[in-house]
Amino acid sequence: MRIAFVLNGKKRALDAPPLARLLDLLRGPLGLTGTKEGCGEGECGSCTVLLDGVPVNACLVVAGQCDGRTVLTVEGLGTKDGLSDLQDAFVKEGGAQCGICTPGILMAAHALLTANPQPGEGEIRESIAGNVCRCTGYQRIVESIRHAAKERASRESG
Amino acid sequence: MNPAELALYPFERPATLAELCRTLSARAGRRERTVLLAGGTDWIVERGFAPPENPDDLPLVLDISRLPELRGIQLAKERAAIGAAATFLEIRSHPVLLRRVPVLTAMAREVGAVQIQARGTLGGNLATASPAADGAAALMALDADVVLASVHGERRVPLTQFFTGYRATRRAEDEVIVRVEFVLPRTGAHQAWRKVGTRAAQAISKVALAAVAEFERGRGVRAGFGMASVSPVTASLPTVRALALAPSLASVSDEELDAATRHDIAPIDDIRSTAAYRTHVASALVKAFFRELRAAAGS
Ligand SMILES: Cc1cc2nc3c(=O)[nH]c(=O)nc-3n(C[C@H](O)[C@H](O)[C@H](O)COP(=O)(O)OP(=O)(O)OC[C@H]3O[C@@H](n4cnc5c(N)ncnc54)[C@H](O)[C@@H]3O)c2cc1C
Ligand code: FES
Ligand code: FES
Repeated sequence: MRIAFVLNGKKRALDAPPLARLLDLLRGPLGLTGTKEGCGEGECGSCTVLLDGVPVNACLVVAGQCDGRTVLTVEGLGTKDGLSDLQDAFVKEGGAQCGICTPGILMAAHALLTANPQPGEGEIRESIAGNVCRCTGYQRIVESIRHAAKERASRESG
Repeated sequence: MNPAELALYPFERPATLAELCRTLSARAGRRERTVLLAGGTDWIVERGFAPPENPDDLPLVLDISRLPELRGIQLAKERAAIGAAATFLEIRSHPVLLRRVPVLTAMAREVGAVQIQARGTLGGNLATASPAADGAAALMALDADVVLASVHGERRVPLTQFFTGYRATRRAEDEVIVRVEFVLPRTGAHQAWRKVGTRAAQAISKVALAAVAEFERGRGVRAGFGMASVSPVTASLPTVRALALAPSLASVSDEELDAATRHDIAPIDDIRSTAAYRTHVASALVKAFFRELRAAAGS
């Protein structure tokens, strides 16, 4: 099946089996290995990407359902030399250790901050409740997201 | 799941409900199998533990997730109509539902985490017919109707009659769930959603209770309950409903509530919990709701 969609801001089209998982398209033919596979069944969130701006598990979205839509992956947030402010906050605040969960958490947090620029702690925790992290104990992750929100607010007022 | 097997399935995206119904009818007539794919959060996950399919005889997968007739939430004349392909995220963010039907929005907010809420639909929740389905429990408390469509037109099945057994429903093979409909609880109705699980997000509930009670001059006029994970199908707690309509709530004892709850459920032991624990939690949830009702009536 011919699948055309906007991936990280660019129009892309490719032939793929209609029920291929978005996760496999990204990591295979599209060469975007930032999105990780943990459980493959919707539990861990390490495959989180944004579909039309909303966080979804790429292991549970099939290619045929992406036709005509917009997908954002961690590669679309920033570049190696130009990290996004959110990615930068994770570096500064120690929000990543092994890094397997990090791309998914960044996408969930990016969606949160886009919809709700000044979230409370409860809202931050709810937004990443579908993302399992075995390393950090979450506290540093929450602080990283809060830090990014604070920086954005001070940039806007300053 | 097995991505290699998934990639072999044939797939189509019908553009309209009429086209979908024609395809379903033609295939059912030829005894060909069809899968309706909405959010995929049940079906795709189940591919992982279902027995492998014969690659030469795979069902046709029809994407219904963006079918216009299955989308959207309509409110008119004190009735709600929620499209079968409406997602839990759309439901929990709907301003009127938030105000008028908190039992439903609170349920939607606790289904999995946001990634599941963004994909999972009410139609999928009802069609899977798992006794643990949270959407089914909340809709049961609202006494919703399930509206099914086929080439023969629409028919309406009360949710209390929709489930016929463990993971079995009255949906025929050539039918699709188009929407659910219910009367909005009157303003001031008592509504509760209580889910007892293992951890906040992602938990399939051990027990969940949805409850709606409406009063007129101190007298109960409508009571609806739905309970998940306590019997082979979503429980509608008919005996408990009758007690909620008793002339005086103060005269309903905890012993009566325990007996009614035990009468209305048939819990089992499984990997998530035991029958004894489920009975205990089910009774505790029912008694807590009645305490809230009595407190509200007394005030
Ligand atoms: C990590 C995780 C957490 C979860 N947590 C919860 C939870 O807390 N509570 C809960 O209740 N569920 C939970 N679920 C289960 C699931 O998300 C829900 O049951 C959801 O409502 C399924 O909807 P769907 O659109 O994804 O269904 P799909 O997987 O697309 O479809 C499921 C079944 O329904 C059929 N179907 C779908 N739509 C229709 C229709 N309109 N007409 C006829 N048949 C149809 C399909 O053919 C298929 O057989 C969870 C799942 C996962 C993976
Ligand atoms: S890999 Fe998709 S949720 Fe775990
Ligand atoms: S940093 Fe290792 S899993 Fe989160």
